[in-house]
Amino acid sequence: MSQERRTPWVVKYRPSRVADVVNQEEAKKAFLSWLDSWLRGKPEKKAALLYGPPGSGKTSLVEAAAREYGLELLEMNASDYRRASDIERVAVASSRGASLVGARGKIILLDEVDGISATADLGALDAVMNLISRTSHPVVLIANDPWDPKLRELREVCLLIEFKRLTKTEVKRVLQNICRSEKLDCEDEALDFIAERAEGDLRSAINDLEALGEGFGKVTYALARSVLGYRNRELDSFEVVRRILTSKYSWQARAAASQTDLAPDELIQWISENVPRQAVDPEDLWRAFESLSRADIYMARIVKSGSWDLLAYASDMMTAGVALAIRNPQYKFKWVKYGFPEKIRMMSKTREIRQVRDDLAKIIAQHLKCSTSVAKSEVIPLLKVIFDNNPEYAARLALGLGLSDSMIRYLSERNGDRIVKLVEDLKVQLRETLLGGLESSAKKEAEKVKPITKKVQRERSRSSGGLESFLKK
Amino acid sequence: MSARGVLAELLWAEKYRPRSLREIVNQEEIVKRLQVFVKEKNMPHLLFAGPPGTGKTTAAHALAHDLYGEDYRLYMLELNASDERGIDVIRTKVKEFARSKLPANVPFKIVLLDEADNMTADAQQALRRLMEMYVDVTRFILIANYPSKIIEPIQSRCAVFRFTQLKKEDVISRLKWICSNEKVVCDDRGLEAIYEVSEGDMRKAINILQAAAALGEVNVSNVYKVVGLATPAEIRALLKSALFEGDFLKARDNLRKLMVSYGLSGVDIIKQLHREIFSSEINMPEEMRVEIADYLGEIQFRLVEGADDEIQLSALLAKLVLLGKPLRQQAQAKPTKVK
Repeated sequence: MSQERRTPWVVKYRPSRVADVVNQEEAKKAFLSWLDSWLRGKPEKKAALLYGPPGSGKTSLVEAAAREYGLELLEMNASDYRRASDIERVAVASSRGASLVGARGKIILLDEVDGISATADLGALDAVMNLISRTSHPVVLIANDPWDPKLRELREVCLLIEFKRLTKTEVKRVLQNICRSEKLDCEDEALDFIAERAEGDLRSAINDLEALGEGFGKVTYALARSVLGYRNRELDSFEVVRRILTSKYSWQARAAASQTDLAPDELIQWISENVPRQAVDPEDLWRAFESLSRADIYMARIVKSGSWDLLAYASDMMTAGVALAIRNPQYKFKWVKYGFPEKIRMMSKTREIRQVRDDLAKIIAQHLKCSTSVAKSEVIPLLKVIFDNNPEYAARLALGLGLSDSMIRYLSERNGDRIVKLVEDLKVQLRETLLGGLESSAKKEAEKVKPITKKVQRERSRSSGGLESFLKK
Repeated sequence: MSARGVLAELLWAEKYRPRSLREIVNQEEIVKRLQVFVKEKNMPHLLFAGPPGTGKTTAAHALAHDLYGEDYRLYMLELNASDERGIDVIRTKVKEFARSKLPANVPFKIVLLDEADNMTADAQQALRRLMEMYVDVTRFILIANYPSKIIEPIQSRCAVFRFTQLKKEDVISRLKWICSNEKVVCDDRGLEAIYEVSEGDMRKAINILQAAAALGEVNVSNVYKVVGLATPAEIRALLKSALFEGDFLKARDNLRKLMVSYGLSGVDIIKQLHREIFSSEINMPEEMRVEIADYLGEIQFRLVEGADDEIQLSALLAKLVLLGKPLRQQAQAKPTKVK
C-alpha cells in the first residue's frame, strides 16, 4: 500500500491563530503586548525569552503570532548557534530597519537557547547578546530551563514569559479533536492513558496518537498500553500518600509506602504537604506532625552518623506513625484533593530571585566580614528599609557596594528603577570628576564608537569587582 | 576625600570598623595581650569567644593589620565555617594557603576561621589535625559565640580570649561619635533605643543607626520604625493565622514566603517568633506565651541537630493551631449563641 507522504500531525495540527494555542492565556497576553510595543516602536526589552516544559506551545505561539501579524519568521536552531558567524549574519540582517527590507517586518526566533553550551560554543552567547543589542526587529528566545547560570546575562536583557505545563484534560481535549478530524476510532480510556503519560507535553502526546492511529487504524486502551508501555512507578504518588494517611492499621501504611519509588526524603515531603488536608482536627494535625518531625530527626541522624539502619524507624514514623495519628473519623476517610509538594515547586520557581539574594548576601558578607546568613537575616532587611525610604542615599550605597541592577530592584520594588537611574547619574559624575577635561572628552568619543561592548563590560565589572574595578578602567 | 568618598557610601559597620588594635576602645585587657603578640612577632593559636558584635572579628583583623601592615590580607586566609562547604573545602584552601609565601619579618601566616562553633565535632577533629600539620607556617584564629561548642582538644591548643558584652555607655558613645562624623542629628533616647533592640551587638547597633539616619534623624520613633519595617510582616501573620484563625495552610504559606523569598533559615524564624510572642501587641494568655517559648526551644534544638526547616516549623505551626483552639472557641462562643 503506497500512500503519499503525509505531513506529521504535529505540523498539520499546529495552531494557525493565537487563539488556537491551547491555554497559556497569561503568556499570550504578555507576548502580544510585548510584540505590540515593538510594532509601536518602543519595546521596553528588545528580546523575549519564552520558557516552560516541552510541548507547552512556545514555538506554536510565536508562529501563530507571526502569521496573524503578517511578520516574516527568521528561525535559527541550536545547531546554528555553534558558529558565531552565523549569528552575526542574522544580526547584520536584523540591524537594518524594516523600511529597507520592504513592507514586511520580521521576528527573529532562536530556539533551544538552553542548548548552547557555555564552554563548547564559546562566543555564541556573546553573539546572541550582541544580536539583541543591535536588532531592530523583535527577537524571541526559547528555552526549557531558563535558570541555567550561563543564561544569566541573557535573562537580564529579556522579558521572561512563562509557559505552564498543560494539564491532562487540556491535552486530552486536543487529542479528541484530532481523532474527530482524522475520523479515527478512539477509546476514551486510551486517550486518557496517552494524555496521562505525556505529562503535559502536547507534542509527544500527538506523536503517540499518530503512531497508534497510523499504525493500527484505531486507538484502543489495550493497544496504547502494549505499544507505548507503562511508566515505571507502581503507584501514583498521590495514591500512595492517600493510602498512608487513610490507613487504619500500621501494616497498611507500611505496605503502601513499599509501593512507591519515591525516595524517603521525597516521600516525607509528599506526606508533609498533604497531612494538613486530611488531618483537619487540630489534635490529629499536631500528633501527625510530631510523628513526621520524629521521622525527620531520624533522617538527620542518618546523615550525621551514616547509619542507614535508622531508616527503618524514620520510615515507620512517617507512615504508620502519621496514619495512626489521624484519628477523628469525621475527616480520616474523607476524600480531599491532594497537592504536589509546594516546596519543590517553589524552589524552582524562585530560583532567579534566590540567586540575586544570595549574591547580594555574599557581597555584604565580604564587606562586613560576617557570614551570609547574618547578612540575610540582619543586614538585608535594614538595607530594604533604606532603599524603600531614601533613594538618593540608597544610590550612593549601591555605588559603594557595587550592587547590580537586579540587586537594587530586589532591595526595593518601589524605588528600584529610580535608584538604578540615580546610580547611573552618580557614575557619570564620578567619571567626570576623575578624568576631567580632555581625557573625559576622549573617553566620551570612545563610548560613541562602541556603546554596546562598553555597556557589557560595565555590567561585568559591576558584578565582579564593584567600584574598584570600575574605577581602574 | 576623593570624589569617590563624596559620591559613594559604604555600610557604616565597615566604614567605622577599627583598623588597628590601637583604635579598639573597649576589651582593653584583650587588646593589651594581643599587642604583646605583635611586639614579639609570635603567637599561639587563638580562640576568640563571646557574644555577637563584641569585636572578635574586628580584633582578629586588627591584629593581622598590626602584624603585617596595610597589605595584611595577603597573609591571612579568611574562612567562615557557615559558608564553606564542609571540612574538605577548608582543608584544600588551608593546604594551598600554607604553600604561599611567608611575609618578610613574621614567621607565620594567619588562618581566620569565623563561626567555628558551627562545625560538627567530626569536622573539628579534622580541623585539629590541620592546625597541627601546618603549625610551622600558620597560626589559626578561631572565632566562636559559644566556646563550649569547640571540642576540648582544640580549646587546649589555643589561647582563649573571652570577649564580654559591650557596656551600654561604650556602645552609645561610639554611636554618637559616628553621628557627629556623619553630621547626623541624634538624641540620647534614640541611641538608647538602638542599644536596647540590638542587645549589645555593636554591628547590629551600627546597622540600625545607619537605617534610622537614612529616614532623617536618629530618634526613638525612627529607630522603632526601622526595626518594625525590618521585621517581615509574615512573622506576625503566621502567628495570627495559626493561633487565632486555626488556618494551618495559610500559616504555612507565610512560612514558605519567609524561607524562600526572604531567605530566612528556620532558626532565624524561630528567633523572630520568640521576640514576637512576648510582644504586648499579641493578645494571648500569659501562660501560653511561656508554653510557646518552651516549644520554640524544642524546635530550635531539633533544627540544630540537623532536622529539616520546613517539616520542623510545620510541626510548630500544628502545635500553635492546637494551642489556639480554646481561644478560637471562646471568640466564637461570644457572638453566636450556639444551636
